[in-house]
Amino acid sequence: MAESPATKEADGEEVCRSLKNGLKPERNGSARSLHRNRKRQNDRRCQADEEEEEEEETTPQHDSLYSRPFTESFEETPMLVAVLTNVGYVILIIFGYLRDLLRHWKIEQRHIAREKEEQKDFVPLYRDFQNFYTRNLYMRIRDNWNRPICSVPGAKMDLMDRTSHDYNWTFEYNGRTMKDVINLGSYNYLGFAENTGPCADSAAQVVRTYGIGVASTRQEIGNLDKHEEMEKQVAKFLGVESAMAFGMGFATNSMNIPALVGKGCLILSDELNHTSLVLGARLSGATIRVFKHNNMQCLEKLLSEAIIYGQPRTHRPWKKILIVVEGIYSMEGSIVRLPEVITLKKRYKAYLYLDEAHSIGALGHRGRGVVDYFDLDPRDVDVLMGTFTKSFGAAGGYIAGKRELIEYLRSHSHSAVYAASMSPPVVEQIITSMKCIMGDDGTSIGCKRLQQLAENTTYFRRRLREMGFIIYGNDDSPVIPMMLYMPAKIGAFGREMLKKNIGVVVVGFPATSLVESRARFCISAAHSKEILDTALSAISEVGDVLQLKYSRRLTQNAPSAHLFAENMFEDIDD
Amino acid sequence: MNVGTAHSEVNPNTRVMNSRGMWLSYTLSIGLLHLILLSIPFVSVPVVWTLTNMIHNLCMYLLLHTVKGTPFQTPDQGKARLLTHWEQMDYGVQFTASRKFLTVTPIVLYLLTSFYTKYDRVHFVVNTVSLLTVLIPKLPQLHGVRIFGINKY
Repeated sequence: MAESPATKEADGEEVCRSLKNGLKPERNGSARSLHRNRKRQNDRRCQADEEEEEEEETTPQHDSLYSRPFTESFEETPMLVAVLTNVGYVILIIFGYLRDLLRHWKIEQRHIAREKEEQKDFVPLYRDFQNFYTRNLYMRIRDNWNRPICSVPGAKMDLMDRTSHDYNWTFEYNGRTMKDVINLGSYNYLGFAENTGPCADSAAQVVRTYGIGVASTRQEIGNLDKHEEMEKQVAKFLGVESAMAFGMGFATNSMNIPALVGKGCLILSDELNHTSLVLGARLSGATIRVFKHNNMQCLEKLLSEAIIYGQPRTHRPWKKILIVVEGIYSMEGSIVRLPEVITLKKRYKAYLYLDEAHSIGALGHRGRGVVDYFDLDPRDVDVLMGTFTKSFGAAGGYIAGKRELIEYLRSHSHSAVYAASMSPPVVEQIITSMKCIMGDDGTSIGCKRLQQLAENTTYFRRRLREMGFIIYGNDDSPVIPMMLYMPAKIGAFGREMLKKNIGVVVVGFPATSLVESRARFCISAAHSKEILDTALSAISEVGDVLQLKYSRRLTQNAPSAHLFAENMFEDIDD
Repeated sequence: MNVGTAHSEVNPNTRVMNSRGMWLSYTLSIGLLHLILLSIPFVSVPVVWTLTNMIHNLCMYLLLHTVKGTPFQTPDQGKARLLTHWEQMDYGVQFTASRKFLTVTPIVLYLLTSFYTKYDRVHFVVNTVSLLTVLIPKLPQLHGVRIFGINKY
C-alpha cells in the first residue's frame, strides 16, 4: 500500500527542518519566495517579549497575495502548565494501574468485557492494555460526551437529565430534561438548525410529495429531479461549472479521493487533516506525504522535491500530485493560506482538493466559503468539497468543479454507484437554505445572518482574549478552541458549564496531542448578544475557579496599558 | 474520544515524547526520586545514588521496553500492538531528538552515580549491569528483536 509511516515521517521531518538553500522558514510559515514585494509590518503592541515563544502571525497588509490581514495565533504552552499536565497524566496512570490491580484482586467491580473462564488459555480476545485509556481515563469523564439532546440543536437546546451511580459505567435517565441549555457546540454557523421557518415548511411539503426515502442509488433509479435542481443550485452558489452531492460528508471524502487518485500518484496532505481525508487518501493507494500545518515553506519544499526526484524507487514522474487542505481546521480554528497554496499549485502544476466542511457558508462576505474570504477565483481550485451539515442545517456533502470532473465522478465514485441517494426533505432543506443565503428568496435573512455570524465571532474572540484565555486560530474563524491543557480540567470544565446551563464540547488526548486538550466553541448566527454575554460571564467564572486564564499577553484593555503614554517605550528596539 | 479525529496522526503514542514539557518533566521526576531517596534516614549517599540509578533504569526498562501496544485503539488495525514504546517512538525512525535524549540521560545518571559512589567496585558492577539493561534495547540493531522469545506476544 502506501509508503510506511516511517518514510513518510522521515520525508516530512527532514525536508522541513534542513532547508538546503539555507533560507530559514519565516516564523509565520508563509514562504518567503511568494512575498517578493512585501514590507515588514511592526508589531503594534508596546511591549514585545522576545523570550516568549509565541507564534503571532500577521502577514503584511500591503502584500499582493492577501487582500486582508491574516492574523492567526497559537500561543505556546506555558512550560509550568506543560509540566503540571504531564504530572497529572502520570498520577492518572499510577491510579489506573492501582485500580487495575484492585480489579484483578476482585476488590473492585469489573465492568469491561472479559473472556470466559474456559477460554483463558486461548489467544486473548480482549487485550487488557488496549482499553487501559478507555476504562481508566475516558470512563471517568464520559458524562461530557454523547449527551442526548431532545430538541432541535439551535442556539438553545434541551438535554436529557442523566445521572450515574457507578462512576459513568452506566447512566440512568430520570425522565427530566434540562431546558434551554445554551448550545456552544453545534456546527450551526448560520442558524439553519430550526424546526420553524421557510426551510422547515418547504421540507415538510416535499415529504408529502416525494416521501422520505429514495430506495435506490443515484445510478439506478434514485436520481430525482430535486437532486438535479440542488446540484445546479450548489454549482451556482460556488461559482463553478457543476457539482455533485452525496448522502454523507465523511463518505464524500473517503469514497471520492480513491476515485480521483490511485497508485503512482502523490497526495500532499496537511498535518491536521480530518480523518475522512486521511481515510480516503489511504484507501486510494497513492503515496502520502504530510506537510506541517499551514506551513507553505514546507509544502513548497515537498512539491519541488516531488517533481525533482519523482517516484521513490524508479524516479519516474508522478502521475498526479494532489494537495489536500481544509478551509477551516475544526480543532485549531485556523484558516488555510489559500492564496499561497494556489500560487504554489500553479507554479508546480499540481491539483488542489479543498475541503470546506466548516468554512462554506461561514466565511466570506457573501458566505461562499474560504475562496470568497480571500477574494479568489473558484476556478483556480480543482476540486471543491464541502458538507451541508454545518452551515445549511442539512446532511451530506458535495464535490464541485469542472464539468468533466463531475461527469467522471458520477460514474466512477463509490458513493454514486453503491450508496443510496439523499433523502428529498434534506435536499429541499439544502435548496431553501442556499437560496436564503444567496438572497434569491427575496428576503435579506441570509445577508443578516452572515453579518451576525461575523459580528458574533469577532465579539466572542475579542472578549475571550481580553479575559486572558488562550485561544487558537484565526481571528475570523467561528470555531474557537480554548485551551484547557490538564486532563482533570477537561472533565471539570464540561461539568461546571453544564451546571450553569451551557453545553460545550471538550476534547482531550488522543484526539489532540498530549498536552493540548481544549474546549471548542462554535459560534452561530442564531446566538444573540445576550446569549453570548451570559456564556462569556459563565466562562469567565469557571475560568477563575479552574484557573484557565493562562495567557501571558498584555491585552488592549489591560488597566496598566492606559497608565503609560504610547511613545514612552519607543526607544526599546523590537 | 477517538484517536485521530483532529489530526492525521495514526498512532499518537509516537509523539508523546516530543510533546511540550516532557523532557523537563522527566528530568524533574528523576530529581524528585533522588530527593525522596535522600530523605530516607541511615542510608549513605553512594547507596542513594546507586538506588536512584537502579530504580530509574528499572522503570525505564519496564515502561519503554516491556509494555507493548497502545492504551487506546488506533485506526491502523493494531500495527503497533507488538511493539514496545521505544519501538513506536517516531514510527521507528532512529536517532531522532527524543531517542537521543532518552539514551543520553541514563548515561549521564551513570556518570554522576559513579562519581558519587567514589568508583567503588560493588557499586560499579551493579550500576554497569543496570545501565546495560537499559542501553542495549535502545540499539537500532535490536529494533523489534525479542531474545529467546521473551516478551514476544
